[in-house]
Amino acid sequence: MESGKTASPKSMPKDAQMMAQILKDMGITEYEPRVINQMLEFAFRYVTTILDDAKIYSSHAKKATVDADDVRLAIQCRADQSFTSPPPRDFLLDIARQRNQTPLPLIKPYSGPRLPPDRYCLTAPNY
Amino acid sequence: MAALAEEQTEVAVKLEPEGPPTLLPPQAGDGAGEGSGGTTNNGPNGGGGNVAASSSTGGDGGTPKPTVAVSAAAPAGAAPVPAAAPDAGAPHDRQTLLAVLQFLRQSKLREAEEALRREAGLLEEAVAGSGAPGEVDSAGAEVTSALLSRVTASAPGPAAPDPPGTGASGATVVSGSASGPAAPGKVGSVAVEDQPDVSAVLSAYNQQGDPTMYEEYYSGLKHFIECSLDCHRAELSQLFYPLFVHMYLELVYNQHENEAKSFFEKFHGDQECYYQDDLRVLSSLTKKEHMKGNETMLDFRTSKFVLRISRDSYQLLKRHLQEKQNNQIWNIVQEHLYIDIFDGMPRSKQQIDAMVGSLAGEAKREANKSKVFFGLLKEPEIEVPLDDEDEEGENEEGKPKKKKPKKDSIGSKSKKQDPNAPPQNRIPLPELKDSDKLDKIMNMKETTKRVRLGPDCLPSICFYTFLNAYQGLTAVDVTDDSSLIAGGFADSTVRVWSVTPKKLRSVKQASEDGTVRLWSLQTFTCLVGYKGHNYPVWDTQFSPYGYYFVSGGHDRVARLWATDHYQPLRIFAGHLADVNCTRFHPNSNYVATGSADRTVRLWDVLNGNCVRIFTGHKGPIHSLTFSPNGRFLATGATDGRVLLWDIGHGLMVGELKGHTDTVCSLRFSRDGEILASGSMDNTVRLWDAIKAFEDLETDDFTTATGHINLPENSQELLLGTYMTKSTPVVHLHFTRRNLVLAAGAYSPQ
Repeated sequence: MESGKTASPKSMPKDAQMMAQILKDMGITEYEPRVINQMLEFAFRYVTTILDDAKIYSSHAKKATVDADDVRLAIQCRADQSFTSPPPRDFLLDIARQRNQTPLPLIKPYSGPRLPPDRYCLTAPNY
Repeated sequence: MAALAEEQTEVAVKLEPEGPPTLLPPQAGDGAGEGSGGTTNNGPNGGGGNVAASSSTGGDGGTPKPTVAVSAAAPAGAAPVPAAAPDAGAPHDRQTLLAVLQFLRQSKLREAEEALRREAGLLEEAVAGSGAPGEVDSAGAEVTSALLSRVTASAPGPAAPDPPGTGASGATVVSGSASGPAAPGKVGSVAVEDQPDVSAVLSAYNQQGDPTMYEEYYSGLKHFIECSLDCHRAELSQLFYPLFVHMYLELVYNQHENEAKSFFEKFHGDQECYYQDDLRVLSSLTKKEHMKGNETMLDFRTSKFVLRISRDSYQLLKRHLQEKQNNQIWNIVQEHLYIDIFDGMPRSKQQIDAMVGSLAGEAKREANKSKVFFGLLKEPEIEVPLDDEDEEGENEEGKPKKKKPKKDSIGSKSKKQDPNAPPQNRIPLPELKDSDKLDKIMNMKETTKRVRLGPDCLPSICFYTFLNAYQGLTAVDVTDDSSLIAGGFADSTVRVWSVTPKKLRSVKQASEDGTVRLWSLQTFTCLVGYKGHNYPVWDTQFSPYGYYFVSGGHDRVARLWATDHYQPLRIFAGHLADVNCTRFHPNSNYVATGSADRTVRLWDVLNGNCVRIFTGHKGPIHSLTFSPNGRFLATGATDGRVLLWDIGHGLMVGELKGHTDTVCSLRFSRDGEILASGSMDNTVRLWDAIKAFEDLETDDFTTATGHINLPENSQELLLGTYMTKSTPVVHLHFTRRNLVLAAGAYSPQ
């Protein structure tokens, strides 16, 4: 597919122009033109989800309007659900240390195809 | 109340003797126990800080006090607790309170101190809540006790070669208390270097209002460095980037958005060109919340950036920074940078440029000092029934090897144990089954027909192009006997093609769903899914002897598995960003991993330790390969360079420039004479490996200081460039007879 040949800026709606600018700022120069639409859809869905959650939280707190704290809380809760990030480094170092302390297990000779116990394999019949 | 007071008196009591300072597990509540335990495992970061604590001797002024309980907040903060952000006013009062307490203690006004503490105790306890970790208030409590212990603790001990700094962490502590849900790393990082004095606390107090001064500090330093002597300038310029990033992150973290933005605007253009990608990511981090999800940036903030500077340049810098009244830069240097000082000539810009580029600076010299067994394992003796040459038939026992297997056991010059080779049973390896033995015999027979390559005898390259893949081809592999080619695609399928009609075997597949799957080629079904990475797995490889395989992924660790264990046997953690590439050493005792943090690490399979860190690439690393004799490693990255490393000494020994785009595949020929590299710029290049590795002068001076002088001989080493028709070369393979097979997906522009 050809590299991003976006429509001329004049004819694009403002949102799309902004999205193109964001892509440019992040250093992405080649993309299919549909990417902008997909990003806009994602942005719309995300923002509405957050705002819905924020409305719920603010009504739970018996507030008259939705304020920044509600939105922040909504973002945080959603982030924990959908955009999980890998565990932090000290945690990884910790479990690595624990795991690396056990010596490597010896290998039993002549044991055919070496697979984990059947429970953990996908070799059972599924009918 | 009683409990809290007791803790405090305990602190007071412990402070008296100049005894061996210990870490304070029992001190600030249960959280602290795990906390300090947690940070001791923190590798270089926490380790550095704790070393500082334990090595403290009666330094400047106050009695030496153990540090670290600050890390208490670390595990408690681990659960994103929206801490009871007390009003902004409260931290300031607490700060002043603690400063006053400190002053009283130093002036030996015990009773006044006790009285004040008793009265203030009410205030602190109200905020402290129950002190149990995990509760909403506990973050506040731990932060309070963190502040308390931070103020009362002093770490006059040097963190590595640096003499103690002053009040660096002041600002960060204040930010730690003022900002609600502190990510664990943050408060933990505060613990790293703490400073006690009243002046420190007061300066911390000042610092909060001082974000506007950051630009001045940076400009001041810039001016100083630019006016320094030429020989020192190159080394001191290394400071610019880490300082810039840390100051920017501090501004963002303390929520001074506008100052951060103007700081960035003003100085980001001065940084080296190879940091541009990082700067772009940074420019999108404008708020504290943005930082929370970005593990790489968090790690950067908490880990120390390593710089190698000669002693003379370091003295110059230190003198300059300490003579100024407000030595904020010195504080930041103390806190965030690890300066590895060496005695000797300052390095030139060229030497420095070759080695820098990674996210964590360079590697400390002692990181590359441990012994690595890079020799090859002895080939097991196998009966080779050779009909045509009968004198070989009897040499089974003992030392003398046959001529033919000798060609295979590359690297063992003597028939005795190679001193650089690991003992045979260092790690358990599977025994050879009969079928394997037959394969080995075939292998040896083929080896006799191997073409010896060299500059005048280049291999032929056979290119397999995947048509109609529409950029969906993610991975390719060829079996060792070159009979099958497997292609992995973005639609989650794996297709296997056979090049010649031959027996099928098992194959492994890494995937974005986080599992590594073992497939049987006999039944064409997936046998096992190895779950462990919860994030995309970018690369896997079987060990040269089978049975073990290693996988690396987005969660920044590489894992070692055995086919019959459903959990990983080893976890190699330490990279700051995704592990892109994992390879076994030919003797199966070491694993090399290349990562998006632009370092390559070599891990020991036996105990999971990182034995080598190689920095120098300026972009994420996408390809790795070991030389067949096990002594050298070649790596390729998005910066288009191929770097050659000597594993034994831990040094860079060569740089091959020529590609203009990411080098995504590398392979040495079977005897190590030629290195083939394939890149996204649609070319395959062949390099003369023998010439690149000859005349290595690694004398003691070089290994001690790490100075390298790379010859600019890329042009001479380049033996040939072969263009493909707009097909990036994803995979390279040398057959047993030294024919090159290359594969890629046709991607028309």
